[in-house]
Amino acid sequence: MSQHIQMTVNDQQVGPVEVPEGLKMIEFLHEYLNLTGTKFGCGAGVCHACTVIVEGKNGVSEVVRTCISGVERFADKKVRTVEGHAKRNSEGEITELTPVQMAFLEHFSFQCGWCTSGFINETTALMERLAKAPVAAADVEQVIEEALKEHICRCTGYVKYYQGVKDLILNTKGLTY
Amino acid sequence: MKATSLSRHSFSRRLKGAVLSLAVFGGTAVAQAAQDQAGLIAQGKYLAEIGDCVACHTPQGGRELSGGLPFETPFGIVYSTNITSDKETGIGHYSYQDFYRAMHEGISPNGNLYPAMPYTSYHLLTDADTRALYAYFMNTKPISQENKDSEIGFPFNIRMGLKAWNLMNHEDSVFTPDPAKSDSWNRGSYLVNVLGHCGECHTPRNAIFAMDPTAHFQGTVLDTFEASNITPEELNRQNWTHEDLKQLFTKGYSRKGTVFGGMYPVVYHSYSHLTEQDMRAVTSYLLDNEADIEALPLAFNGHDKAAPGYNTYMGYCAGCHGQDGEGRPNVAPALAGNATLDRTSVYNAVSLLLNGIVSQHYNSTTSFYAMPAYADKFDDQQLTDLVNYMRTTWTAQKADIGVSKVKDIRTNMKQSVH
Repeated sequence: MSQHIQMTVNDQQVGPVEVPEGLKMIEFLHEYLNLTGTKFGCGAGVCHACTVIVEGKNGVSEVVRTCISGVERFADKKVRTVEGHAKRNSEGEITELTPVQMAFLEHFSFQCGWCTSGFINETTALMERLAKAPVAAADVEQVIEEALKEHICRCTGYVKYYQGVKDLILNTKGLTY
Repeated sequence: MKATSLSRHSFSRRLKGAVLSLAVFGGTAVAQAAQDQAGLIAQGKYLAEIGDCVACHTPQGGRELSGGLPFETPFGIVYSTNITSDKETGIGHYSYQDFYRAMHEGISPNGNLYPAMPYTSYHLLTDADTRALYAYFMNTKPISQENKDSEIGFPFNIRMGLKAWNLMNHEDSVFTPDPAKSDSWNRGSYLVNVLGHCGECHTPRNAIFAMDPTAHFQGTVLDTFEASNITPEELNRQNWTHEDLKQLFTKGYSRKGTVFGGMYPVVYHSYSHLTEQDMRAVTSYLLDNEADIEALPLAFNGHDKAAPGYNTYMGYCAGCHGQDGEGRPNVAPALAGNATLDRTSVYNAVSLLLNGIVSQHYNSTTSFYAMPAYADKFDDQQLTDLVNYMRTTWTAQKADIGVSKVKDIRTNMKQSVH
């Protein structure tokens, strides 16, 4: 049995498209949209590698794991994947990375890169939350720990990820006081 | 000379023999006493496990039996106490009589205990078992940890009031086997009602917070979850078999779902230690049936794609619980015939969706992942549709839960949690 789904992915309208029952969002991204930057890790919602951003209620973004979420969950919603962050020119070439992507590059945060898209999306959502509700500079480490603690990096590069995020938050105006 | 010499030698030999006999006899007696004491301590350890002492007297991440775990009561917070053999801060200075009174009457050398300590169930312990427990506790590793003062408001902080409560609600009596039932059934009753003190959670309380004997095991709300109705009528209606209960009590999960909330530590620390014989006694008592029970097929009534709740299930739940509710080994339980869904009350189904479930670890090969909380994701109508959908799809229950019911549960839960 099939159904018709539509949504907005990286500012592009997708669908209505006919999809089979039980299709997971990560399969939809990979097989229907050719957006393979979102990685399939544990397949059980534990490692958070497959995290994407969904525009939630009141304009507040939330992160959602796509390996355990059916495509129905994203119907009529605005979704951002790792491909939707960097700026591109009219030919689709990347011209500018986001501060989050730059921070991870500058800190040599990732090794194999499988978990990177999850870290980028979670950190981006965190930055957006902090822009609306800044925290005390002294609490930044705790805030990062809360936001990123579920993300598993099999290369165990946590320290460099966390350092990158900490530097970025402390050096971005308006996120702390 | 010869005769004298022989006689002297003979006397000496007899004397040595007698001394040796006494030494051997004495040594045997000492060894026997030590063996008896070791046996008594081992018996007490088993009884303490079944009595679930560790779960309540161990703080999160703390040392076993050292106390300090908070219990929210309608009157304030009570902290469990240090029950290690430490003489200063624990119960190492208790005489047997002190221990007996604490277990049977709820009176410690420092005064009345709050009934959060289930002496209202333990009072039926036999003297022999109480002695075994005493032997065990007096041989636990002493841990020096001061007890925390309870945070009970006036006037309930005046412990003298507990004397009046005990007069009305408590009487130290002895366990009386039911002659119409088998030894195994009676053993099960003793384990469940006395040591296991299951009624303390699963029996509703009356106006003065004593267990209501007319509603034995009929289930009641405790904080965020409802301790289930575990009467034989309900368990048999849901087609629990001896094997199902055994699986649930030893592994924390069965074909009818997993334990959660307060039952997880009970299984982990307590019921998983039951001997095979005692387990059968417990299941025979709970089911009120000693014969084997046929396991009927679990319901899967097929998907109704037009039903509200279908898309929510497929979007949020199917990833872990399976497209057809088949579950995933070591991740999430199956939903077909799931006991939480297959209940007259939807309290737990709603509360689990609102609050989620913490991850559960049973052994090196078996764990269940945490279930996220959806309190901020679903409104009352979505929750109602989802619960109704799941009940009609995987049980024989009807889609008759109204949104007001779900709203009430959410509201009351917020009040109880905060």
